Amino acid sequence: MTNLPYIVASYAVTLVIAGGFSLGAWIRLKHARRQLAAVDPRGRWQ
Amino acid sequence: MTRTRRRLLLVGLCGLGLATATALTLNALNSNLVFFLTPSQLASKAPPPGHTFRLGGLVAPGSVVHSEVDGKPLVRFAVTDGTATVKASFGGVLPDLFREGQGVVALGAMSPNGSFHATQVLAKHDETYMPKSVEEALKKKGLWNPNDGPPPPASTWNTLATKAPMKGG
Amino acid sequence: MDAISATPAVPGRSLFRLANPGRFMRLSGRVLPVLIALGLGFTAVGLVWGMFFSPADWQQGDAVRIMYVHVPAAWVSSAGYVGLAACSAISLIWRHPLADLAAVEIGPVGAGATAICLITGSLWGEPMWGTWWVWDARLTSVLVLFFLYLGHMALVRAFDEPERGYRAGAILALIGAVDLPIIKFSVDWWNTLHQPDTITVTGAPTMYVGMLWPLLFAALGFSFGFGAIVTARLRAAVMERRLRGLLLARAEESLAS
Repeated sequence: MTNLPYIVASYAVTLVIAGGFSLGAWIRLKHARRQLAAVDPRGRWQ
Repeated sequence: MTRTRRRLLLVGLCGLGLATATALTLNALNSNLVFFLTPSQLASKAPPPGHTFRLGGLVAPGSVVHSEVDGKPLVRFAVTDGTATVKASFGGVLPDLFREGQGVVALGAMSPNGSFHATQVLAKHDETYMPKSVEEALKKKGLWNPNDGPPPPASTWNTLATKAPMKGG
Repeated sequence: MDAISATPAVPGRSLFRLANPGRFMRLSGRVLPVLIALGLGFTAVGLVWGMFFSPADWQQGDAVRIMYVHVPAAWVSSAGYVGLAACSAISLIWRHPLADLAAVEIGPVGAGATAICLITGSLWGEPMWGTWWVWDARLTSVLVLFFLYLGHMALVRAFDEPERGYRAGAILALIGAVDLPIIKFSVDWWNTLHQPDTITVTGAPTMYVGMLWPLLFAALGFSFGFGAIVTARLRAAVMERRLRGLLLARAEESLAS
């Protein structure tokens, strides 16, 4: 492949940023769900 | 009129005002937002020699001459937009896509002899993307010579079947 | 205390039915897994196809493969801003609490997509054009979009009273929407180093079909992925808001007793 470093770098940047946002959202969702369950065990959103 | 209606009207009117103001500003700025001058624009209002600006156009077919001056590479070429042509020279590293018929944007200044001396040359490729096999097929059929200008209408080639494997490497 | 459940429901209008947090959580809980599956599926197919199985360009060689991440990121960053502006308009006109939360959650994700677009564009420009960056109208207007996202993120968090932050952010987002047509038409209105659009509403795409398919798959994948991340963040935000409301109510209860 020509220009391989540039191609690999651009795919890597994309996956790192997108993966970071996905992981962040997942952790935040899990955290919020657990805290809400602790405060309001009969909550309907779990 | 309800409060929601009033807010809707207010947001709408503000948007309309903003859009008008932006359109007028952009219109006024139009000539100043130019990233590069074309050879025809240069012919009508050339910047004074020594004044740095960008020159954009196609590398004229058959104009590229590579030479060496004092052991350093020097390339001479002409930039054209179809109506006017400007001679140019450049002593640095050319981008990979530089070729006759390719778009270029060169930063530099006019020399007193009326030619453009570039300190940086950037390649400006067009918006067409095609595999090598399609380009070769078009060339073989005499439908397109990349050195002469833009390719034929996309609908004539963007689903063209070629025998070469489509797998990249 | 809970601003969301305090909003009176307007019957027959789905937008307002969503203002009920329970209803939003139920609906989004069903939609989110679908968005995640579609986002992952389309993105994986599009990127693997683009990276390994699509043809190289006749003049750019393999560097054209950067297109399969750059172009979808560019589309999503603009489409995300359309979403942000729409939420802002809904927030300003109808005072819709979910639109406020959605605007706050779209901001960072849109900034991320714009960052991907700018970085991959730079990585594409260096080997092909011969430069990482130029101040032409297309590149500059996308950089402005990035700063608009960052400005919105900062503004909605700048006030002690969240409501004021939502108002200020919504006004900024709506004013910033003028950048969207500028981005779209910059390559037609002015001389730019960036080439004009390959895929337009009016004409045939000036791209070989073997490159067009992976691009469309990646673009669909990025769009679903963007929707999934925003939906997940919005669900978390609604829960966090409910949590704050519950804790506050409890604190007041214990003070009163």
